[in-house]
Amino acid sequence: MREIFTALSCNLDENILATALPLFENEKVEAIEWSFDTLYKHENIPGWFVELLQAFGNEKRLIGHGVYFSLFSGCWTAAQQTWLSHLEKISATFQFDHISEHFGFMTGSNFHQGAPLSIPFTPATLAIGRDRLKRIYNSCKCPVGIENLAFSYSLDEMKQHGEFLDKLVSPVNGFIILDLHNLYCQSHNFGICLEDIIHFYPLHRVREIHISGGSWEDSVTAPGQKIRRDTHDDRVPTALFGLLKTAIKKCPQLKYVVLEQLSNALVNEDMRNGYREDFMEMYSIIKNENEISDGIKLNDFFPKKFVISPEPIQDTVLQEQELVLSNILESAASYDDAISRLQSSALHGSAWKPEQWKPYMLETAIAIAQKWKHGFE
Amino acid sequence: MKLSKSILQAVLIAVTTGAIVSCEKLRKDELSKPKIHKSKTDSTLVSCPACGMG
Repeated sequence: MREIFTALSCNLDENILATALPLFENEKVEAIEWSFDTLYKHENIPGWFVELLQAFGNEKRLIGHGVYFSLFSGCWTAAQQTWLSHLEKISATFQFDHISEHFGFMTGSNFHQGAPLSIPFTPATLAIGRDRLKRIYNSCKCPVGIENLAFSYSLDEMKQHGEFLDKLVSPVNGFIILDLHNLYCQSHNFGICLEDIIHFYPLHRVREIHISGGSWEDSVTAPGQKIRRDTHDDRVPTALFGLLKTAIKKCPQLKYVVLEQLSNALVNEDMRNGYREDFMEMYSIIKNENEISDGIKLNDFFPKKFVISPEPIQDTVLQEQELVLSNILESAASYDDAISRLQSSALHGSAWKPEQWKPYMLETAIAIAQKWKHGFE
Repeated sequence: MKLSKSILQAVLIAVTTGAIVSCEKLRKDELSKPKIHKSKTDSTLVSCPACGMG
C-alpha cells in the first residue's frame, strides 16, 4: 500500500527555514525537497544543513529538484557536464529518493541566468530530452522525473504537453511531477476547467505533486484579461486544495506532495503564518485522503536497461533557434517589437510555430525572460 | 518526521543569526554556548530561486 509524505521545498534560505522551523519542531514535515544546484556561489554547505539533509536522506525522505540543467538545450555544454558531475558527487553524500528537473530550455547565455521555457514537441527534441534524462540517471542512480511547465504558447501546445512528457520519461521509467499551480496557470490562461486539465497528463506516472501560489499580471495585448504567473510569491489558491484531493485519488503512484514558496514572500510573520496554514491544510488533506485500495502495483521508477549514445546528442539548428528566441525575448522593447523580429527570424515557419502563439502568452514569455535574465539576485 | 534536538537547535541559531553552526559541536557543548559568527558576511543563508520562475 502506498504512503504519501507531506513535504516542503527546503533550501539554504533564512526565510524558508525560519518559516519551516515550527513545522519541523512539530514533526509535520515528512520529507524535504532540496534544489541541490542552487548553491553554486558557495563552496561549502554548512554542517548543520548537511545534517538536516542527511537526517531526511537516511529515512529515504530526501528528494532533489534541479533548476539549471536546461534539459532541452540543443547543444551539450560544459556547464551541463559540470552539473552532472556535481550531481554524482552529492548523490554519494546524500541518499536521494529521486531526482527531478524542469521541462524546457533555459533562456539566457549564462548557465545560472534565465528561466525555463517550452520547446517544440518534435522527434528531435524528444531525442535530446531522453538522452539528457539517461545521463541524469547515470549520475544519480535513482529514479528521475520531470515537472510539467506552467507556461505554454498556445492551447494546442498545452494539450500535447502531457503526452510528450510521457514519451520523454518512458525510456528511463521516469516519473512526473504534477505541479498543480502550473495547471492552475494553464487552466486560467487558456480557459480550461481546472478539474478537466489534469486529464491531459500521464497520471499513472505522477510520483510527486507541487502546490504553490502565484500572481496576476495585466496584458497589453488582451486588455481586461489577467495572466496567471507561476511566481511562488503568494499563498496557495483555495481551488488548488480541491484539486489536490482529486489528484490524490487519480494518481496511484503518488508519494510526495511538496509546498513551494519563494523566500521573498516569507519576510514577515503574517506571510510565514500564512505559509504554515497552507502547509497544515495540505497535511490535513493528505492524512484524510491517503487511503487507496491495496492491490495497486507500485512502480519503483527505476529504469530497465537502456541504450545511451557515447556522446550527448546535439542539434545545432535547435540550439540556434533557442538562442535567437532567447535574444528576442530578453531584449524586445515591446510585444510588437518581438513579433516583428520573430517574423523575420529562423523561427518563422519552423516547428516552433510562433504564428500560432497567443499574443498574451508571448507577452508573458517576454516578461519571464526579462525578469530572470540577470539570474536570482 | 522527528528531528534531533541538535539539528533543530542549529536551524534556530542559523535563522536567527545567519551563522554557520556545527550540530556536532552543539551536541558536545550540550547546547551551552555555541560559538556564533555574527558577521553578515559570514552568512551562508542565501536566497534561492528553486522554481517560481514562471
